[in-house]
Amino acid sequence: MRDDNQTRRLIKEAEQAMLQQYTRRHFLKDGAMGFGALALGSLLGNCWGNSGSKKLFDAANPLAARPPMFPGKAKSVIYLHMAGAPSQLELFSYKPELAKLDGLDCPPSLLEGKKFAFIRGVPKMLGPQAVFKQRGESGLWLSDNLPHLATVADDIAMLNAVTTEQFNHAPAQLLMHTGSARLGRPSIGSWVTYGMGTENNNLPGFVVLTSGGNNPDAGKSVWGSGFLPSVYQGVQCRSEGDPVLFIKDPKGMDRDLRKASIDAINKVNQEQYSEYNDPETLSRIAQYEMAYKMQISVPDVMNINDEPQYIHEMYGTQPGKTSFANNVLLARKLVEKGVRFVQLFDWGWDTHGDSAGNAVDIGLINKCRKVDRPITALLLDLKQRGLLDETLVVWGTEFGRTPMQENREGKKMPFKGRDHHAAAFNMWMAGGGIKGGTSYGVTDEIGYNIVSGKTEAYDIQATILNQLGFDHEKLTYESQGRNFRLTDLSGKVIKDILA
Amino acid sequence: MHFLSSKKLFIGVTLLLGVIAYVVFHKPLEKIDYSSQVKPILNKNCIACHGGVKQKGGFSVLFREDAMANTKSGKPAIIPGSPETSEFIKRITSKDPEERMPYKHTPLSKEDIQILTQWIKEGAQWGQHWAYTEIKSEKIPDYSSSWIKNEVDQFVYQKLKQEHLSPSDEADKSTLMRRVSLDLTGLPPTQLVAKRFLADDSPKAYENLVDDLLASPSYGERWTSLWLDLARYADTKGYEKDGSRNIWKYRDWLIRAFNADKPYNEFIKEQIAGDLMPNPDDAKYIATSFNRNTMTNDEGGTDDEEFRTAAVMDRTNTTWSALMGTTFNCVQCHSHPYDPFKHDEYYKFLSFFNNSRDEDVDIEYPLLRQYNSTDSLKLNTLVDWIKTNASPEEGKKYYTFLKTWQPTINSLQGDKYINGALLGCTAGLRNLGSFRLKNVVLDQKEQLMLRYNARLNTGNVYIYLDSLKGKLIKTVALKSNQTPFWKLQTIDLPAISGTHNLFFKFHNPAIQSLDETGVRFDWFAFGTKFPGKGKPGYDDAMKSFAELMEAPVETIPVMVENNKDQFRTSHVFVRGNRLVEGAVVTPDVPHILNPMPADAPKNRLGMAMWLTDEKNPLVARTMVNRLWEQLFGYGIAETLEDLGSQGIPPTHRALLDYLSWKFMHDYQWSLKKVLKEIVLSATYRQESKVTDGLLKKDPMNKFFARGPRVRLSAEQIRDQSLAVSNVLSSKMYGKSVMPYQPEGIWRSPYSGDVWKKSQGEDQFRRAVYTYWKRTAPYPSMITFDGGAREVCITRRIRTDTPLQALTTLNDSTYLVMARYFASRINEVGGAEVNQQIAKGYELMMYKPISKARLNALMELYNTSYTKFRNDAKASALMAGQLEKPDKPKAASLVMVASAMLNLDEWLNKN
Repeated sequence: MRDDNQTRRLIKEAEQAMLQQYTRRHFLKDGAMGFGALALGSLLGNCWGNSGSKKLFDAANPLAARPPMFPGKAKSVIYLHMAGAPSQLELFSYKPELAKLDGLDCPPSLLEGKKFAFIRGVPKMLGPQAVFKQRGESGLWLSDNLPHLATVADDIAMLNAVTTEQFNHAPAQLLMHTGSARLGRPSIGSWVTYGMGTENNNLPGFVVLTSGGNNPDAGKSVWGSGFLPSVYQGVQCRSEGDPVLFIKDPKGMDRDLRKASIDAINKVNQEQYSEYNDPETLSRIAQYEMAYKMQISVPDVMNINDEPQYIHEMYGTQPGKTSFANNVLLARKLVEKGVRFVQLFDWGWDTHGDSAGNAVDIGLINKCRKVDRPITALLLDLKQRGLLDETLVVWGTEFGRTPMQENREGKKMPFKGRDHHAAAFNMWMAGGGIKGGTSYGVTDEIGYNIVSGKTEAYDIQATILNQLGFDHEKLTYESQGRNFRLTDLSGKVIKDILA
Repeated sequence: MHFLSSKKLFIGVTLLLGVIAYVVFHKPLEKIDYSSQVKPILNKNCIACHGGVKQKGGFSVLFREDAMANTKSGKPAIIPGSPETSEFIKRITSKDPEERMPYKHTPLSKEDIQILTQWIKEGAQWGQHWAYTEIKSEKIPDYSSSWIKNEVDQFVYQKLKQEHLSPSDEADKSTLMRRVSLDLTGLPPTQLVAKRFLADDSPKAYENLVDDLLASPSYGERWTSLWLDLARYADTKGYEKDGSRNIWKYRDWLIRAFNADKPYNEFIKEQIAGDLMPNPDDAKYIATSFNRNTMTNDEGGTDDEEFRTAAVMDRTNTTWSALMGTTFNCVQCHSHPYDPFKHDEYYKFLSFFNNSRDEDVDIEYPLLRQYNSTDSLKLNTLVDWIKTNASPEEGKKYYTFLKTWQPTINSLQGDKYINGALLGCTAGLRNLGSFRLKNVVLDQKEQLMLRYNARLNTGNVYIYLDSLKGKLIKTVALKSNQTPFWKLQTIDLPAISGTHNLFFKFHNPAIQSLDETGVRFDWFAFGTKFPGKGKPGYDDAMKSFAELMEAPVETIPVMVENNKDQFRTSHVFVRGNRLVEGAVVTPDVPHILNPMPADAPKNRLGMAMWLTDEKNPLVARTMVNRLWEQLFGYGIAETLEDLGSQGIPPTHRALLDYLSWKFMHDYQWSLKKVLKEIVLSATYRQESKVTDGLLKKDPMNKFFARGPRVRLSAEQIRDQSLAVSNVLSSKMYGKSVMPYQPEGIWRSPYSGDVWKKSQGEDQFRRAVYTYWKRTAPYPSMITFDGGAREVCITRRIRTDTPLQALTTLNDSTYLVMARYFASRINEVGGAEVNQQIAKGYELMMYKPISKARLNALMELYNTSYTKFRNDAKASALMAGQLEKPDKPKAASLVMVASAMLNLDEWLNKN
């Protein structure tokens, strides 16, 4: 490989070439708006002008770090999505009144005009299948299913009245992550990397980790880039096989040989550049250099073997396995290295009661055991590293579950389960400028409908963007003739939970 | 670039710089042009509050009639001919910030105000945006230059002169040959074709090459790849379950159509409405699979009507974005904010699509049933018999029914379940369970054909009229559950007139449990008795019919239209919400465009006739623009998906229109002829080398002062590497294949689908045959900017990322190719390694390798050889399984071959 100076020079040339292109465009397009905007510092810096932000994208350097619109509290986001929809009534939503209704027929008023995924006819009410206590100074109600989380209750801002319009997994997940229940919109992580680029050139800006045996129901679209350039889609890092696809050199090739090969490729490309003068060639040279660096940095960051024993105990991690706990630890490592957006999906929370594994009093408890400790460890660990303030942690899902017991096809189910419930459920946030120990929104006595503090996916998205320093109404991209944004036509920042 | 054409910006820039470099021709006496001068000002400054979405103060500038109407103030804001009395002018020139428009935004420039004032003075005429005006035959600019080869160049040359640019020389033969071959066939030229062309010095040599390429079967495969993006083709259904879909015959239909150069108007007509054309054969039905590439949602509990509607909207949007370069989907919720399309026009257009039989059922009815040859003959004999012994109409009806099982009522339409439920898309009843079929038209219905399975052996189905307590009109004794599992049974019905609800109740006294599903219904067909009773051969015909109904068939989802019994009324969805139905609408096209041809029926076929009418301003322009983009990297109008007023205006509008006119008229919609004209132009043949000066003036090559140099597509990159490695399979058509991909790409919930690696040459088929799973597409396709194809992809945005480098460096597929490539150059390259490398380069680029390149690659070889010579294990791993005498040498050559497949000049067309 060429020496560092030469590499730097090449990258610099690529940047220069891009800068020239950019300058030219910017100059001509916005020149009339005011010469001041041409001050060099603002060119690649704050380009949130009033002419839309499509020009943010430059194929020559699409992931360059960019400052947000205003100084944000958070630098990065860890978004923990429990795919399948855990029951809020067994975790966060304390409803003693529901216990009294246990086993009774559901009143017709709750069923009128409603449509359920599986409930048919008249189901029975199902009381909470967990014991709740108030925790911490704030007195947040949490069930015994989450004993570890109870210890950090005061770091959490609980959203009690989240609602969605979708009661099927795939569209509801899409709505939560892309702002639309239909396919084709960019995911929130894509929007963030589009807006901010990445701080670590040797790692992707938006990393996705999945556990639970399956990808989320909506597939890769939940981390897709939609109409944004594909460079902004989430990069799925895997804990089995290569952590990033094709990151490993072929067998028989050592690092020296890889270096020799990239060196040869780039020498020829340099020759090609001297003949054709195409700046894209310089960009390719830079990308090959970056690929080489990623080959070291990605496996390195994805390796948890070298973490100290106390960390493994804290998180409950077992190196070499695919687990949610491992992914949570990886998430911490990734944000520590400057990754902007780490998206976790844990599959297997769809507690319909059709099997023991899917029962709210059996399977759900097992699932909780697998996530409670690592999530709590994450908050503590980020805190001890001084990272919690600048890392927004979001715990969420696509919808909630009914206070009625599911009766699929109108029949009694073998185990206690709850059907999909779109009208009211819980999510929480912590760190990244969120006020711990707060609680927002109220649902009725059985957790069926919202009383106040209604929170939609758009509001959560607006809040996440706000914490990063973006006005969700202004982070736009022009596609098909109009400026699109993550929050579509809605969204308001949930001010009540901000520090 | 569009801003270059804007006078205002030039003025701004020059003034601000204090350098009077341009003399701006200001000709106040020339009449103001609405589209190029007024509309941009309105779009930029006014329309956000006074357009199709918002009409603040009761004022909108989208349509003339709105702008002339009384505003909230009680009088019109624009008085044609009288800017002095027009509130509009008063407001944009006001000094009072509360009055002045645009409200709370930067005031309009003096120039803009002058343009608007003069425009009102001249009568405030609205003009049509260029893309919505009829395509006219363009006058060819008259320039003479030895550079010019055909009319395309005249247009380009004119612009170059205007921009003070000069064209480049023709690219060298090797470079041009590789470029045109990749462009037309998606593959580098074969050695034979290359040899012939490089040795041919005649003036026709290049044209002969182009003719060869256009005639190659690879041509169809290459252009099909493009169309699959537009058709959102995939081998799976999408959404959560994303199960398999057997629709690859549509892909093969495309390849054949492109290769046969099926005229584009026919090509579109058959895809939109092949089923409605007279006597559709299998190919015409398969063409309509274009619109069955919409997604089907099999997730439990989803509302099939919701996703049926989603598919219908998708068809509407795809028709507009893919075929007409128009963003119609914003009209779903409100009138188009910028372009002259009204809210209800979306739903009028949507209603063309709203009467197809598909209903988001998991089995994807309606399916074309393709018989084997014996049964096809039987079908023809039967249909002929019916035509002779009953009527031609009856013959046609039975043909359609046997080919599609339509018209039938899906169980999905059932409701009011008691002790039963909709299971998937079948109506499942437990003992004494019942359900309702709504609004069945019973006039002249003599019989009912049922498709069902009685899971627990026999039982009776009781059919009641109007309610469960109503008249019992029929008792059906179900057949046992022995093979075939699904039973067809036909029962006679008493004569009943009118439309009724029918209640179906199941009872089998032998079944004790109330909890087990005893019968599942698939579909119901109400009709008349088999025709021709008493005619000779009646019994045989009946028998043939029964056999053909259950004969083994291959199927593919196709479009079939509702009959009048199942006709759906279409409504406007208020603010795009399908649950809030507004006014009833009937099929029609937007008023601003060409009217439907006089002989066009108001259905999909009529709409297809309208699309392909020479008066349609969008269809030819959109396709020509797309062809241009495929050849040059950018369209003449960059935004292929939006030729409307918010899209980026074309750099060479006259050229676009010239080619579009010629496409429709002189070339009779032949794609090959348009492509040939473009690639024969001097414009296309230019070398792509660029000087600093030109790069500065025209970074994106908008004026074509040089040839196109862009990265190849995902498909081209794979295919050419397979080709140069000598392993590319020439097999065409057939089921999609599964070449190597890493473990763990497919992890779909609730699906046992697995990626089963294809064997033998199927590993090395062209990318167009790779199985496309929407929720987990083939990794290298996505990395090189392919999309998931959930919806129509109108344009791939090229990116350059390290993940692309990792793919071509490390993906096993590329390692395997590098090994084959290394073997090849070892075999044919001569004795010495440097000769072999030089030969390899020649195989790739069709020209000798430069010294610097050879040195760099030799250095890699030597470094590798030093390493592998002392490491037998590593050499064996790198060299692979193939028998090779000198493993360290083989391994080192693989290193070099792999590097060569990663060269910038290889990944680009130059």
